[in-house]
Amino acid sequence: MKKHIIPIILLGYFGLLFLLLIGLETYWYLYEKPQSQPIAFSHQIHVLKMTLPCDLCHMYATKSISAGIPSVSKCMDCHRAIATDKPEIKKILKYWQNRKPIPWVRIHSLPDFVYFSHKRHLKMGIDCSECHGDVKAMATIRKVRSLKMGWCITCHKSRSAPTDCLTCHK
Amino acid sequence: MSPEAPGHIEIREQRDQVEKDILTSMKKPSLLFLACLGFTVALATVLLACWGYQIKTGLIVSGKNHPVGWYMYITSFVFWVGIAHSGTLISAILYLLRAGFRKSFNRSAEAMTVFSLMVAGMFPLIHLGRIWLFYWLMPYPNQRQIWVNFRSPLIWDVFAVGTYFTVSLIFFYVGMIPDLAIVRRCSDGFKKRIYSVLSLGWLGTPSQWRHYNQLYLLLASLATPLVLSVHSVVSWDFAMSIVPGWHTTIFAPYFVAGAIFSGTAMVILLVIPMRRMLSLEKYISVDDFENIAKILLFTSLIVTYSYIVEFCLAFYSGNIFEETVYKYRVLGDFKIMFWIMIFGNSILPLTLFIRKLRRNLPYLFVTSIFVIIGMWFERFVIIVTSLARDFDPYNWGIPNLSIIAIGIVLGSFGLFFMMFLLFVKLFPVLSITELKEKLE
Amino acid sequence: MHRRDFLKIMGVASSSTLMTSCDLEKQSEKLIPYLLPPEEEIIPGQSIYYNTTCTECPACCGVSVKDREKVYNNMRGRYPVKLEGIPGHPVNDGTLCIRGQASLTRLYHPDRIKKPKLRDSKGNFIDIDWSNAYSQILDALRESNNGGYKNIYLSGRTTGSLSDLIDDFCKRTGIERAAEFEVYSHSAIKEANGILFSKREIPLYQIDKADYLLTIGADILETFISPVSNAVRLSHAKRKSDFKWFHIEPHVSLTGFQACEKFTINPGTEVYLLDFLLKNMLNMKLYKKRLPEEVVKYIPDFSQEEVSSKTGLKLASLYQIADQFKKAKMPLLIAGGISTRHSYGLETAVLTGLIQWITGMTDSVIDFSRAENYSGVGTMVQMEKLSNRLSNNEIGVIFIARTDPSKSIPVSYFFKENIKKAKLRIGLSDLLTGTIKECDIILPLSHTFESWGDANPRSGLKTLIQPALEPLFKTLSEGDILLHLLKGDLKDLPFRNFQEYLFKKWNENYGKALTEEFLKKGYYEESVPKKEIRLDNKSAVAFLKNIKTLDRIAKPVLVVTPSIRSFDGRSSVLPLLNEIPDPLTTISYGQWVSVPPKTAKSLMLSDGDEVEISAPGLSARLPVKVQPGLPEDTFAIHPEMLSTQVFQADKRSGEGVCYLDKIKIIKTGASVSIPVLSGSMSQKGRGIVPNPVNKKREYDRGWNNMYPEHKHKDYRWAMAVDLELCIACSACVAACYIENNVPVVGKRHHLMGLEMSWLRVEPFFNGHGKCNFVLMLCQHCDYAPCEPVCPVFASYHNPEGLNIQLYNRCVGTRYCSNNCPYKVRRFNWFDSQWPEPLDRMLNPDISVRTKGVMEKCTFCVQRIREAHDTAKDESRKIRDQEVVTACAQTCPTNAIVFGNILDKKSQVYKLAHSERVYRIFEPLGTEPSVYYLRKKGDKNES
Repeated sequence: MKKHIIPIILLGYFGLLFLLLIGLETYWYLYEKPQSQPIAFSHQIHVLKMTLPCDLCHMYATKSISAGIPSVSKCMDCHRAIATDKPEIKKILKYWQNRKPIPWVRIHSLPDFVYFSHKRHLKMGIDCSECHGDVKAMATIRKVRSLKMGWCITCHKSRSAPTDCLTCHK
Repeated sequence: MSPEAPGHIEIREQRDQVEKDILTSMKKPSLLFLACLGFTVALATVLLACWGYQIKTGLIVSGKNHPVGWYMYITSFVFWVGIAHSGTLISAILYLLRAGFRKSFNRSAEAMTVFSLMVAGMFPLIHLGRIWLFYWLMPYPNQRQIWVNFRSPLIWDVFAVGTYFTVSLIFFYVGMIPDLAIVRRCSDGFKKRIYSVLSLGWLGTPSQWRHYNQLYLLLASLATPLVLSVHSVVSWDFAMSIVPGWHTTIFAPYFVAGAIFSGTAMVILLVIPMRRMLSLEKYISVDDFENIAKILLFTSLIVTYSYIVEFCLAFYSGNIFEETVYKYRVLGDFKIMFWIMIFGNSILPLTLFIRKLRRNLPYLFVTSIFVIIGMWFERFVIIVTSLARDFDPYNWGIPNLSIIAIGIVLGSFGLFFMMFLLFVKLFPVLSITELKEKLE
Repeated sequence: MHRRDFLKIMGVASSSTLMTSCDLEKQSEKLIPYLLPPEEEIIPGQSIYYNTTCTECPACCGVSVKDREKVYNNMRGRYPVKLEGIPGHPVNDGTLCIRGQASLTRLYHPDRIKKPKLRDSKGNFIDIDWSNAYSQILDALRESNNGGYKNIYLSGRTTGSLSDLIDDFCKRTGIERAAEFEVYSHSAIKEANGILFSKREIPLYQIDKADYLLTIGADILETFISPVSNAVRLSHAKRKSDFKWFHIEPHVSLTGFQACEKFTINPGTEVYLLDFLLKNMLNMKLYKKRLPEEVVKYIPDFSQEEVSSKTGLKLASLYQIADQFKKAKMPLLIAGGISTRHSYGLETAVLTGLIQWITGMTDSVIDFSRAENYSGVGTMVQMEKLSNRLSNNEIGVIFIARTDPSKSIPVSYFFKENIKKAKLRIGLSDLLTGTIKECDIILPLSHTFESWGDANPRSGLKTLIQPALEPLFKTLSEGDILLHLLKGDLKDLPFRNFQEYLFKKWNENYGKALTEEFLKKGYYEESVPKKEIRLDNKSAVAFLKNIKTLDRIAKPVLVVTPSIRSFDGRSSVLPLLNEIPDPLTTISYGQWVSVPPKTAKSLMLSDGDEVEISAPGLSARLPVKVQPGLPEDTFAIHPEMLSTQVFQADKRSGEGVCYLDKIKIIKTGASVSIPVLSGSMSQKGRGIVPNPVNKKREYDRGWNNMYPEHKHKDYRWAMAVDLELCIACSACVAACYIENNVPVVGKRHHLMGLEMSWLRVEPFFNGHGKCNFVLMLCQHCDYAPCEPVCPVFASYHNPEGLNIQLYNRCVGTRYCSNNCPYKVRRFNWFDSQWPEPLDRMLNPDISVRTKGVMEKCTFCVQRIREAHDTAKDESRKIRDQEVVTACAQTCPTNAIVFGNILDKKSQVYKLAHSERVYRIFEPLGTEPSVYYLRKKGDKNES
């Protein structure tokens, strides 16, 4: 009995640890693993180099709750002529020819019980970068703000914006 | 005094005898015991299975509906919290009152308190729609920057039951320390290790005894008000609402009395078989049972009185909503439950006025079973009938029968008895030191 | 690491309870762009409206379809999420009925036919493609023409260009077009008007102009010709102070309960009553036009005692009815519906016509110039002929479009059997109905919201049908199908599809400018010349001559009454209409027969007992629902609940007879559980509809709130429900379901008491054969009992006086629901499902609730939010009537008014301060924000 107890405890301990690791692994794989975009689109090139304004592509940002993602034809408008030899651009062409929309991976996503209006925030003179970070410096887009409730509230309070639950929850 | 005195010698022998008797009860379990244990374990697993299934499919399986949103789970919650009370009553209040027969029951009563609170605490979680968010009921700083609603009686519950559990656990444990020391002395090997950890290096020096007694007294006086407060708060879950049949001022005292009533019955239910199994007839005398039976009788009278008052209030008020509900209780879909409750809680206990029956243990045993059932149904009737017949007649309706809910309720009993059985084997079921003191 | 994440990990690690339930927002969410940029005016995340026409029933109300853009299987598309009436539309003026609202679930019906089907040798259907179907049909046509068979094109009521196209198609391909089939053809009225005024038409009844309305059998608020239009007009009439409405019927109907006075008449004896009225008028000289002597001579002569005994109406009531004509300046008499659907329907209609003529109604309130367009609609007799022709093997190919006769015509016609004798049966339909199942080739029709077209409900009015989305499946509109078939026939067809056909037509008829307007407004109304109504003495006399003394319909009698939920049974397939209870019985799913209380007592029947109804040619087993107010020995039943709804046809009028007399009712002893949603048919004297209303409204709560009172700065949203105007049509309920993504849970759960409706119509019957209806929804109390008991602030009071339920904060203690005296909160007992493609209907402005969460009416907070948004853009406050909740929007009588009660000029403020106002359970001190206005002349106790 007595001499068995130590190995049993050790086994249990490491067993648990192992289980936890597996859990972490699965969790990471399921929810945190950064998804690769179908096309290696770079905001850096478009915004920094080409100095295109945000709302050239995200044309509904000032008009609607959703900023809008440019239609494939919009991409083609320029890329029929520009940089057509690049492999990534060829991908666009393929999508365009197959009449298939590009399945971009959403990076800045809010749960569906949240109501967020781009229009309202832009009308209040809030800059895109305050929530999306310095996008123009990003080769591949990534989330820099937590976009969690606490983060929203803090900002709302600091600007004395309404903090009634209903402002953001539907 | 010098130890050579002959009187002292026999006392020492008696003391050793006490120790032996109590500790033998902790030796190898009998087959009967194992059988019981197995049965209770099986029931407990039923509970877990049902609960898992319910979480998966949603509360539709729990038989609740519109309008009856609270059903067997809250019933059981109130019931188990109630059971806890007499434990504290016996161990704390009787201790302060220096009641002699206390020593035969206090250990098992305290154990019962702790276990029943464990079971009780489980039920509000079982009944939650989204149990995986239970931690939102706790006030703690969070990134959401939102707090709990301190106006809600449910939050009061969280605190009341929480406090009660902590205090009674400590009280239970502290009461055991000297005995654990004795167990430590008499056991060896791995067991010794464990008990030596548990007994916190108790040596029984006079100074330790002095501090110990102070602490125990303090805890006892701490626990005493809880007997009243906790179940009052639980009763406010109902009294604070506007539902006809719930919204009444007598609920607090009414519930407390009921709690002690059911708890006492549970003590009897536990101790009688324990006494047989562990052959403790020598230490738990029939007189002790007679005394506790008196408590049962007394509380039963209080409960009966509250029933009467409740009805008088309803009909005197002339409030149509109240009247409907109380008529419905007596004559409606749940009249069987109501009459079982009246029989078990008000009529049967009256027989205990007869001394013979008070001293007749099998009879006492049966009576307390009826009381337990009666008290469960009391809560059931109060909760369900009021919801089934509330303000707008369009919404009148009755809940559905649900196997899952019944499974969970039965399982909770299994869990409770399982824990008690384990306790019986792992800890001294009577306070050895107190028994010894009595010998002087 | 975050606590939440930690939980997730534990969830995954110990693949236990947490795993099954944690709501994890997946990262691998896709972001799908448009392929092509949408049109200019369309902005993602904002609704657009298409004006079109509702085709759920023949009334042709104008609907504007609310579209939202969504992503489904990786494609962005626009899908209708809500229907609303077109404001100012001549028929429905911005409102819709329960069926209209629910017709969206027909578009998204899970069982829609998705592909053309062909019956194979073994008799089961196989999917084929369109070209194959066309060639099959054309071959069959050629064959049968060569074989010298006749071909038939049978359809439901069809108006507008489609009707013309069908004629054209039939002409070109040698098909004979059968008369359109409608159960409610109102042919008795048509026939009568033919006899009296030689106008076989159904006039437009202008209820709004009348000050005394007498309806005999006509269920004007449920199915009679154009119910929504009737309801709208009625509400205008009711707003006049001196308006009186008497209703006379042989059973109980929703319409009946809405009338000021309701009289029960023995079935089939309306003629006596009308005769009495007519005589009475002639004697009292109560007429504008003098009836020619020869006509007067032949008016049958019954003594008033005879009338009284036959009809079962007391003399007092007879005179009460008659005398109103004296008082009234602008009386209107409508007889129809149930009162013309028996073998004396024609007499009833003719005498009605005479009264209408002599009182001058035909020149004022009854408008023949804007007659309802029922010209194409045939009669039961014609159906019988057709059935016979089928049985003599005369018919080669038969087209059956948008109609289901086999379930609606007398069984004795053997239509179901005879139709099998046709060489080829072609069904055009959206769903597999009884008749369509018999077909060999089934062509799936697009829903109206997926196709182009126009309709012509009455002369002088044209309404637009235009698509609001791409067809969900491989379906086509009827027009397109016919054009395709013609193409096969002749090459020189000048247009590619029906759309071009229509545009060509419109441009020809109205010219460019008007067409543009037509496309924008969704309807086009042109002025029509007034028609002179002359009495045709000869034919009138000819008819009156041979009116014999009538034998009345012998009790016990079974009456098939039209249903507000299923019309003539056609709408009973819609899931939503089964979920919403029938307003009178509060039964949602399944079948039942309504039994009068007296008879129930004598037969010892109670709700759910099964009875066997037997009569020559019928035997059915149905559960019983005891229906207060139903006259003795009268058993009422809805169309969809029997094998047929018409038992024989009246040879002269061609109207179907929906009475079955001398029936036997036997208790089988079995009992069926029927979902009766109401817990009690009476309000048990609780003053939910108080009477007389408590004048002293300001209750002193007698205590001061422990907690600080609520402050409302600019807005305090409130609602007023006028029970005088409310007709309990349940349109609001349907609107609420669709607007707020309220789940449809089904019969099983209704039986368990788990319905989810946020808004409900509660009927409360009293001893006096009257019924009070009350709308029950979240009252948004100022001192809401649900708020303080919620442990996590999921239920709280917001600065605009709304009582908010936060779905994502709720942990599901259900304490709030227990503590709600109105019991308007609904708990999600499980994760509710929206079977494909119904999920496309979900409103993106409001989240779908997960299991374990409480939900309830929000006063359509998404609409309030939208209004706030626009108001902010224009930096102003929200105007009155800028926010209209879904229920208020669809209400045909405008009984529901929503608004900001802090604004003294708002409608809701005015109503909340009328002398009729009261609030439910006011003594509880909950201070509700929903104000009820009780009925005007209601004297009986509740």
